[in-house]
Amino acid sequence: MYVEPGIHLMQGDEAIVEGSLIAGCRFFAGYPITPATEIAERMSRRMPQVGGVFMQMEDELASILAIIGASWAGKKAMTATSGPGYSLMQEGLGYAILTETPIVITDVQRGGPSTGLVTLPSQGDVMQARWGSHGDYGIIALAPSSAQDMFDLAIRAFNLSEEYRNPVVILADEVIAHVREPVKVPPLEEIEIVERRKPSVPPEEYIPYLPDPGEWVTPMPAFGEGYNMLVESVMHDEFGHRIGTDHVAAERTIKRVYYKIEKNVEKIAMYETELMEDAEIAVVSYGSTARTSLRAVREARKLGIKAGILRLITLWPFYDKIIEDIASQVRAIVVPEMNMGKIVREVERAAKGNAEVMSLPKVGGVLHHPDEVLSAIKKAAR
Amino acid sequence: MAATRVNQIAVSDKLCKGCYLCIWACPWNVLEISEERNWRGVKKPVATKIENCRACRLCEYYCPDFAIQVIVDEEEEKEILEVEERYEKPWLRRIERRNEIVSRGVWWLES
Amino acid sequence: MIPESEFENILAKKYMRTEIMPHAFCPGCGLGIIERIILMAFEELGWDEWEKTVFVSGIGCSGWVPLYFRRDAAHTLHGRALAFATALKASRPELNVIVIMGDGDSMGIGGNHLIHAARRNIGITAIIATNMLYSLTGGQMAPTTPEGARTQTTPYGSIEPNFDLMELLKAAGATYLARWTTYHFMQAKNSLKKAIKHKGFAAIEILFQCPTYAGRYILNKPDPRDMLQWFKENSVPLTVAKKKDPEELKGKILVGEFLHRTDRVEYTEKLKELEKRAKGG
Ligand SMILES: Cc1ncc(C[n+]2csc(CCOP(=O)(O)OP(=O)(O)O)c2C)c(N)n1
Ligand code: SF4
Ligand code: SF4
Ligand code: SF4
Ligand SMILES: [Mg+2]
Repeated sequence: MYVEPGIHLMQGDEAIVEGSLIAGCRFFAGYPITPATEIAERMSRRMPQVGGVFMQMEDELASILAIIGASWAGKKAMTATSGPGYSLMQEGLGYAILTETPIVITDVQRGGPSTGLVTLPSQGDVMQARWGSHGDYGIIALAPSSAQDMFDLAIRAFNLSEEYRNPVVILADEVIAHVREPVKVPPLEEIEIVERRKPSVPPEEYIPYLPDPGEWVTPMPAFGEGYNMLVESVMHDEFGHRIGTDHVAAERTIKRVYYKIEKNVEKIAMYETELMEDAEIAVVSYGSTARTSLRAVREARKLGIKAGILRLITLWPFYDKIIEDIASQVRAIVVPEMNMGKIVREVERAAKGNAEVMSLPKVGGVLHHPDEVLSAIKKAAR
Repeated sequence: MAATRVNQIAVSDKLCKGCYLCIWACPWNVLEISEERNWRGVKKPVATKIENCRACRLCEYYCPDFAIQVIVDEEEEKEILEVEERYEKPWLRRIERRNEIVSRGVWWLES
Repeated sequence: MIPESEFENILAKKYMRTEIMPHAFCPGCGLGIIERIILMAFEELGWDEWEKTVFVSGIGCSGWVPLYFRRDAAHTLHGRALAFATALKASRPELNVIVIMGDGDSMGIGGNHLIHAARRNIGITAIIATNMLYSLTGGQMAPTTPEGARTQTTPYGSIEPNFDLMELLKAAGATYLARWTTYHFMQAKNSLKKAIKHKGFAAIEILFQCPTYAGRYILNKPDPRDMLQWFKENSVPLTVAKKKDPEELKGKILVGEFLHRTDRVEYTEKLKELEKRAKGG
């Protein structure tokens, strides 16, 4: 049923599919779009084999609404798309957020704006991932850098979405989706899977959106289990009942869907550092850009420059503390991104002026050359 | 069809919005608009000629607000109370609990 | 005698969230009658069927209909109810999935989902509440607004022809179709029972009185009683219509059961077959 434990040569989009199935994903809805189509194609083959449902929907709004519907049917559900489709999904994303519906959305980023650079990679959607839907909310976004990440982060994304009852976005890009690399698949019993918590109280005692003290979210029943859920897109109170002008109740709801992510950043944030112990120059990078950045950092070391790298795996919620720590250690931080400079704004804010922050933007659909990053490091070291 | 003996035609003060579709629907002119407004400002329909009622329930069917019921006899009265006990009341208890918790302040807004 | 101050009709006590009633609809609004039609259908189908039923709705006055039922309900986004419902049904075929949409919700912004749900012939019961305009936003033109009608966005009269939902869905592949008005609550209830039991995409259009906007702007009948009277006088049953020439039927509402096909396999049945094939069985 699942891919055998062991080392497999896998493409990124294959790894994310296999990881998702192991995480328990049993519903996939999507609409073809380059470079995310392969995920849908693989899902169409694999999903029925594990007893799940694959549906090609009529558009991306339908896709995201479908996975929300499937989630309330009790299934773990996912969709995959790219820029134009991700833009269409934003309204549905907000619906999942306000109704605290666990779903996973993979955005295989391509160059924009608009239909843009269809087949070329980009990191242009990182701010959209944070702020794309209207209103205030918290969101989790993960940035894979390898086929292995696609496998591991798929599982992590489903786990986080269940734990926080929130959408989780996997921000891949064309390079990561198509890269073919060895992927280590651990034995099933070694993989941590978070299952959905179901209410333990009878329906008449269950208050759908009022978590116990210390808890951020309530257990989530499925439709048809007798809990008479209201999955309400209008601002609602603890019962899911529409709020007219009760701003106090509205504040309770909005602040919880905001804080449940933002205040748990320590638990959610994942990152990797390399060569950072004695570093004087730091490269802060994510996604496929982290691959070139790592090369550049190693080259810099050969030249005697004390450079190190921080790879952000969790982009949102943004982990200010790690940037703060680094800023107090290094002289300068270089932030290469395949966009006009987006995450660099967060880095700059979190660095609080303790280190010089240098943006290294790149648009047009190509990765940075390691030399470009290297020369930025050199410049920073001067 | 002879008139049925009808015990009561209950019109809810809580729910009636005074649209008078019930009066429009009644073939036997049982209902009339009352003179006085209730606490919600609605002049409810009243069964001034309850003796003409055939218990056809057209008034109920056309009432959009679930405000009116033709209660034929004690049997029906009992049924209403039973339904209330069994289906409605169990769901009302949690409201107080919610109100109590939120009035004390929810934990994520403290600190 | 039962006290009247907090009284609720027995159907409301049994099926509805009485704690949030009276509902937010205007006095005399037909959406309350549509609620009653649904509940009367379940009184006859039985509590077991009710317990297997879930509701999905879109945004609009009509989207509020199921929110008053003590049952699982998703109040989704404007136009998107069917997408949510499709996945719900595909994941849990044993549930009765009832979708309630406005005319603008279903045929305007959600038109794409509507035709594709019909094309798939997925076992959903769609109730389309038609009031000939957008009411939640204050009375603008909808795809069902009659040509020539004045609304808030057609001050000189609409120049757009309106959709005929029955023809639209017949062509798209639906397998059960009926149209009634709130005047025809009994027939609507009977059609709804059939639709719920039907294996395939079933749609029931119910014209309802919106005295506040359709009444004032389109029909010049701000009183809900006059609107119901108008429904009564202007609707022609399909059986009668067949004997009349088209001229006579201009401006009339055709009501009745438009389609009942059993020759198309329902979507979730095919899904089960597909799963077997995928597993090599
Ligand atoms: C994406 C989006 N666009 C617009 C709206 C505003 N809006 C809310 S309801 C509605 C129209 C409702 O009309 P209809 O579907 O006919 O329902 P009715 O209120 O008439 O029952 C519109 C345009 C919205 N909620 N979402
Ligand atoms: S139809 Fe219902 S709401 Fe309207 S007046 Fe009669 S009882 Fe009141
Ligand atoms: S039951 Fe029939 S006769 Fe009696 S009040 Fe209602 S509509 Fe009139
Ligand atoms: S505006 Fe029209 S449809 Fe909306 S509640 Fe009022 S009468 Fe009903
Ligand atoms: Mg409408």
